[in-house]
Amino acid sequence: MTKKSILAALSLSLAASVVATSVASAADLRMSWWGGDGRHVATQKALDYCTTKTGHKVKPEFMGFEGYLEKLTTQMAGSTEADIVQVDWPWLFQFSKDGGGFADLKQFAGELDLTQWNDSQLAPAIIDGKLNGVPVSVTGATYYFNDEIYKKAGLETPKSWEDMAAAAKKLNPDGIYPFDSSRVILMLMVEAFAAQISGKEFVKPGTNELDWTAEDIAGALKHYQWMVDNGIVRSAKDVAGVGNVEIFDDPAWGSGKIGGTFFWDSTYSKYDDPLKVGSLVPAAPLKIEGAKFDGVYKKPSMVFAISKHSKDPKASAQVINCLLNDKDAILILGDSRGLPASAIGKSTLEGAGKLTPERLNGAKIVADATGPVMSPLIEHPSVQEVFKDVIEQFAYGQLTAEEAGEEMVDDLGRALRRL
Amino acid sequence: MSGDGRLLGFWYVLPYLIGLLVFTAIPFLGSLYLSFTDYRLMQGASFIGLENYADILTSDRTFTRSFNVTMLYVLITVPLKLAFALFIAGILNSKLKGIGFFRTAYYVPSILGGSIAVAVLWRYMFADTGLINMVLTSIGFEAINWFGNPGTALFTITLLRLWQFGSAMVIFLAALQSIDKSLYEAAAIDGAKPWRAFFAITLPLLTPVIFFNLIMQMVQAFQEFNGPYIITQGGPLKSTYLLPLYIYEMAFKKFDMGYASAIAWVLFAVIMVLTLIAFWSSKHWVYYAGDKRS
Repeated sequence: MTKKSILAALSLSLAASVVATSVASAADLRMSWWGGDGRHVATQKALDYCTTKTGHKVKPEFMGFEGYLEKLTTQMAGSTEADIVQVDWPWLFQFSKDGGGFADLKQFAGELDLTQWNDSQLAPAIIDGKLNGVPVSVTGATYYFNDEIYKKAGLETPKSWEDMAAAAKKLNPDGIYPFDSSRVILMLMVEAFAAQISGKEFVKPGTNELDWTAEDIAGALKHYQWMVDNGIVRSAKDVAGVGNVEIFDDPAWGSGKIGGTFFWDSTYSKYDDPLKVGSLVPAAPLKIEGAKFDGVYKKPSMVFAISKHSKDPKASAQVINCLLNDKDAILILGDSRGLPASAIGKSTLEGAGKLTPERLNGAKIVADATGPVMSPLIEHPSVQEVFKDVIEQFAYGQLTAEEAGEEMVDDLGRALRRL
Repeated sequence: MSGDGRLLGFWYVLPYLIGLLVFTAIPFLGSLYLSFTDYRLMQGASFIGLENYADILTSDRTFTRSFNVTMLYVLITVPLKLAFALFIAGILNSKLKGIGFFRTAYYVPSILGGSIAVAVLWRYMFADTGLINMVLTSIGFEAINWFGNPGTALFTITLLRLWQFGSAMVIFLAALQSIDKSLYEAAAIDGAKPWRAFFAITLPLLTPVIFFNLIMQMVQAFQEFNGPYIITQGGPLKSTYLLPLYIYEMAFKKFDMGYASAIAWVLFAVIMVLTLIAFWSSKHWVYYAGDKRS
């Protein structure tokens, strides 16, 4: 080999290493989230924009909500989770009991503008002094009605349970139910009723100790039974007859045979999009007899967290900042994750007229409503299984309300002690 | 064969052996170890001896319910599927025009049957406003709440499994075709009717294949997951909550891997015991070629 060729090879190697160094400053990241088609499309477009803005390439990993937690958990156990992870807020407490499960975002205040959230918004994601994620939006469970169904029947949308019972008398002969409480929604409603009756969160603050009595739960179940008996909602047996589908996939929902339901306001599109008849309007919380408050649960609907195993957490923080705090990215994402929690996110969408009145009203109703502080424990799979099983046994007539109340207190107590 | 030749054979099977070791043997033994621990994903594991097994067998009502449902499912599904597969194999053993097409067509559900898409299709067919109820009401019957009733919900899951009779059918068909025709000719000369020939010739000669299919179908039935997971999520009232679904939920919803592993080993023990019983009983009812029994 000649001296010339050796020099040429060395020059090439040097040039290659310079190129490699300059590319390394632009990170290759992964981001995982759950959602529907609208969210998937919007997020990928926003990520494309953020790649041009930050120089970091982000590989998207997305799916529906079903199975997301299972996948994320196995990834977390194997330390293979994406750099940027969309996490449902209660899961933070499963993955990060001591606050060390995710990167502490306070460390990246230079990359991620945390001043866009106030202290009360960030507080639920702080565990043991470490900020495990930033809230993407804030949500609460409230009532929504299909206005067209009520208008056609010459009715106002219900403002009380008595209105609902009266609506049932008029709508039932046409095969229409004024409301629905199937599966997860039934569980959410029974929890809200029990909170209204007791005036308490279901665990004593800061503990794993159940704060609802058997009477509180029995009262909630009796109200559900009253709804079934008065034709307000379908019986559990009829709901099960559709098969394992959520209400928004139920043909009865899309075809306008059900007049409304109870859900997290951040998931509005999921329920409104399948409607072939009418659209959903939010309503103030309905209180059952003896309610001590509105019983509306509020929580960060989801947070963006950074993996503690991320090779480039600073780059990840820059991408999150772009998605949630950059005006152009905010406009691309729109309301695909509900009403933004970040101040600039909310004002940008409002200024551009991207938020529908239904979205804004729903968020206002949730913000104005009184309710218990949401404990993440209520969404733990073991706790939810107890609610689901006992409510089902009651709904199928295998337990009286009192027996179900006793059983739920026993089983919840046991489940909570194991957490 | 020279020493080198033997080594060559080893190299050929090495990829399989590595796969068996990494994807079967190690997880298999790993789950046995985990079943004696309280291992939860994201948390450490402590050795707790037989505590998981004691809980499962003495105080876990969900396990008892799930075990009973699983046994009922297996008891209904396996004999029905074997009988149906044999019945169809008998038909397809005849000399009809285009029989090759029919044999392929009847095998298709076995290829599709276990898939998620077919389970979703099943859910739509048996839904309250689904195809089955539309047919029933059009001929004057009342619609049935297939999924809302604990009794009928298990029946729909069973039907999905029955529909996948193809693999058992193909094995029966091959066995039927291997039966010497002269035996039937001799029986016919002796005046035996077709039913008599079936019970005196066909069935005894098929017993080794029936035995094989019984074991295979029983093991598969105990592992049924897709149907109940997609169609009913184990409901209503846990009437379709088969043990694999319980293991899955314990492992991947509650992340209690230690307990889930213990349930899996209990299920393994149940399958093993039933298989041993089947082997033991086979001495009395399975007839092999060259068997001296009369």
